[in-house]
Amino acid sequence: MKQFAALLRKDNQPVRYLVVDDSVFARKNLIKMIEMFGGEVAGEAGDGLTAIAEFNRISPDIVLMDITMPQMEGIEAVERIVRQHAEARIVMVSSVGYQENILAALQKGAKHFVQKPVKPEVLYEILRYVLSDVPNAVGVPVAMAGEHHI
Amino acid sequence: MSRPPEDRGDELRALFFESANELVQSLNEAGLELESRPADEEVIRRVRRAVHTLKGDSAACGFHKLSELSHELEDVLTSQIAQERGTDFAELVLTAADSFGAMLTAYQHKTELPTVEALHAMIRKLLKEPAPAKNAGSAAPPLPAQFAWTEYEQLMISEAVHRGEPVYNVALRIDPNSLMRAAAFQLIRNVLHGSGTVIALRPEDNVAAATVEIIEAALASSQPEERIRQRCRIPSIVSEVRLERAATADTPEHELLGDLLEAQAARVVAGTAETIESGAATNPNTSGSAATTVAESTLRVDAARIDAVMNLVGELIIGKSMLNRALTEFDKKHARDPLRAKLADAMAFQARILDELHKCVLKIRMVPVEQLFRRFPRVVRDVAKQCGKDVALELTGQNTDLDKGILDALAEPLMHLVRNAVDHGIEPADVRLSAGKLARGTVYLNAYHQGTQVVIEVRDDGRGMDPALLRAQAVEKGLLKLAEARRLTEQETLSLIFEPGFSTASEVTEVSGRGIGMDVVRTVLDRLKGTVHISSQKGRGTTIRLCAPLTLASIQTLLFRVGGRLFAVPLSAVVEITRIMDPEIHRVDQREVLRLRDQILTLVRLEHLSRLHSIDTELARKKHFVIVIGVTEKRFGLLVDSLVGEEELVIKALPGEIVSSDLVSGASILGDGTVVLILNVSAVLSRLSRAMPLGAIA
Repeated sequence: MKQFAALLRKDNQPVRYLVVDDSVFARKNLIKMIEMFGGEVAGEAGDGLTAIAEFNRISPDIVLMDITMPQMEGIEAVERIVRQHAEARIVMVSSVGYQENILAALQKGAKHFVQKPVKPEVLYEILRYVLSDVPNAVGVPVAMAGEHHI
Repeated sequence: MSRPPEDRGDELRALFFESANELVQSLNEAGLELESRPADEEVIRRVRRAVHTLKGDSAACGFHKLSELSHELEDVLTSQIAQERGTDFAELVLTAADSFGAMLTAYQHKTELPTVEALHAMIRKLLKEPAPAKNAGSAAPPLPAQFAWTEYEQLMISEAVHRGEPVYNVALRIDPNSLMRAAAFQLIRNVLHGSGTVIALRPEDNVAAATVEIIEAALASSQPEERIRQRCRIPSIVSEVRLERAATADTPEHELLGDLLEAQAARVVAGTAETIESGAATNPNTSGSAATTVAESTLRVDAARIDAVMNLVGELIIGKSMLNRALTEFDKKHARDPLRAKLADAMAFQARILDELHKCVLKIRMVPVEQLFRRFPRVVRDVAKQCGKDVALELTGQNTDLDKGILDALAEPLMHLVRNAVDHGIEPADVRLSAGKLARGTVYLNAYHQGTQVVIEVRDDGRGMDPALLRAQAVEKGLLKLAEARRLTEQETLSLIFEPGFSTASEVTEVSGRGIGMDVVRTVLDRLKGTVHISSQKGRGTTIRLCAPLTLASIQTLLFRVGGRLFAVPLSAVVEITRIMDPEIHRVDQREVLRLRDQILTLVRLEHLSRLHSIDTELARKKHFVIVIGVTEKRFGLLVDSLVGEEELVIKALPGEIVSSDLVSGASILGDGTVVLILNVSAVLSRLSRAMPLGAIA
C-alpha cells in the first residue's frame, strides 16, 4: 500500500474529520483513507441533519459530505453549515452523475469535490489543498513529504 | 449471496421484481424520449433516478451483478455526455433497459445470468472516447491562451493597476480526466474569487464551461504571485497553470466612455443576433433549449404568498375607487381650485401604476396550459391500450396562460373528458374502417384565449352522439318525461350528459363509465364561474368546450339594482340587455315569460327567488330592464330595476355562516364602501329547473 506523509494541522495535531454518508460502507472506506493520512475521525453522520448537529458539536477541520442522503441532502447541509460557520471546509464526495448537485454545493460554499469511487491519492491531494487555504489560519500542513513547499 | 429467512425473502423479492420491472419500463420510455429529444435534462434526471433506485434495491436484495452494473451505468449518465453523444446516449439507455430486463428475468427464474457485454462496451466507449479525442490536438505546451479582454475589461485592468493592485492573466487547463467540467469550472471560479478580484473570465458561465478546457481570467490580487499559483493548482481539477502579469495598455485612463459603451452595445447586439441565427440553423428545437434556460432562473414561491400580494392589490384597487369618489366630490365642491388638476394627475398616474401592478401580480399566478396537457399523452395511451384502440393525441395551444388555481381545478374535468373521448367517443378500428375513417382515432386538445376567458377544447373524431339515443336514455332513467324529452332542442339534448346520474355508455367500463364523471365537469365549471359547451355530429365526432375565466381573483361584472340593493353578475354570463314595458310580460304556468325575437324567455325576479325584502318603495314601475343570462345552452331573463354599469370586482370570499343562500357566490366592496353581492347564475338556474320542467327554460 502506498504510504502518505501525515497531513497535520498547523499545531501539529491530527486533522479532525467529520464523515457524512448514508452508506456505512462508504464511510468505512473514507475512514480507512483518513487513517492512512494520519487524520482523526471526530464524527460520522448518515444524513444531513445529523451532520449539522455533529458539526456544531465537534467543529471538525474537514467535512467529507455525500450528496444524496435521506432526511436532508448534502447540498442543504452544506448551505446550513456554511451559513453558520463561514470557515467550514467541506469536500463533496459524489459520483459523476450528480454534477448539478456538486455545482450547487460549490455555489453554497463547499470547498472542493471528489469523485466516487474515491482514490486515496486523489483525496490526499485535495485534502492537502483544502487544508492550505488560508495562509495564516490553522490548517497549513507542516509535515509534508517531498518537494512540496507551501 | 446471503439468504434471508425464506418467506420474508420471497416477499421482498417479489416486491423488488415488481418495482424493478417498472423502473426498466420507465427507462424504456425515457430512452424513446431521448431519441426524439436528446439531452433533455428532465429525462436524464429521470433515468438517473431510476438507475439509482435500481442500484440500491438490487444491492439490498443481494443481486450484486445488477447493482454493480447500475453503478457503472450511473457514472455515464451525465447531461454532459448526453449533450455530446445524443443518439448514442439514448441507445445506451435503451440497451441498459434491455440488459436490466434480461438480468431480472434470469434472477427471477434462477437461470444463468446473461452476458451484458454490449452495455459494458457502450459504457466504456462513452466514458473514454471524448477525453482522448479532445486531448489529442491541444496537448502541446505552452498553454495556449488569448487573454483577449474587451475594452471595458482592459479599462478595469488598467484602473486596478493604477490603484496599485497587481493584475494577473491566468490560464488554467481543466484536467482532461475531470468528467464534471461545469462543477470544475465552478470550483475554479470559487478559487479565483477567493484569491482576489476577478475582472474578466472566459468562459463566462457554467453552461459554456461544459465544452471548454482552458479557462482564462484577469485577476487583480495583492497576494504573492506564488501563492496565487499554488491556489490555482487545484488537484484533480486543474492540470496546468499559466500565470503572468497583465500588461497595462498605455491608453489614457479615461477614454471616451460613451464610445466604449456604444461599441460594447453593438457587440452585444451582434452577438445575440448571431446566437439566434445559429440556434435556428442548427437546432430546430430552440424553444426547448430556451425553456430550459428560463427554468434555471425560475423561483419556486409558496402560492399563499402570491395570494397575499394579490389580496393587497385588491385592497389597493378598492382604495383607488375610494380616492376617485373623493376626488369627484372635491371636484364638485371646489370647481375652480387649481389643486384639482394636480390631484387628477396624481390620481391618473397612480391608477396606471396600480393597473400595471395588478396585471403583474395576475401574471405571476399564470401558468401555461402545457403543465396540464403534459399528462395527457400517457393517459390517452393507457386508456387506448385498455380498450384496445389506436388513438393519437394532438395538442395545440399549450402556451396559453391561465391562473394556476383554475388550471388545477380543470385537471379533473379534463381528465374525465379525455378518458371519455377515448373510451366512448372513438370507435374500434374495424368500425372506423367500415365508416371510411382512418383506423387510428384522434383526440385533439386545444387551448386559447377568448376575451377575458380561456377556452379548453376536447375534440374527437369518433362516433359522435345520437340525440335520439340520449333522449331515450334520459326518459328511461326517469330524468325526463317523454313529452319533455321531445321538446328539447339538439343542444339541450347533448347537454344532458352533464346531468348527474346520466351516462351514455351502455355498459359500465373500467375506464370511464361509472355514471358519475361528466357531472363533475359541470360542477367544477360552475364553481369557476365558467361554462361548458358541447356540439356533436353523429359519425363525425364530438367537441366539448370548457370556458373559464382567466383568473379567480377578479371578474368583470355587470352591476344592477333590485329592490334598492346592488348586485353583480359575471359579465361573461350576460348575453344581452333589453328594455321592456310591463304589458310585454306574460304569465304562463305561474311563470312570467317574455317573448324576445320569437323566443320564449323565462323571467326571474330576484326578490321572489330570495324572499328579498324590498327597500325600494316604488315597486310598481312600468319599465324594466331585462338582463338575458346564458349558462351553457340555457337562457333566462333577470328582471332588474336599474343598471349601474360594468365594474371589475375583486372577489372576497364569504364565510359560510354569513351567506345562507347559494344564490350568492361571493361579495365585493366598491370604492364607496358599498357591498355588492355577486349572483351565482347557475344556482339561480337550478332553482328554476327544480321548480319547473327542464325543457321550459328556453
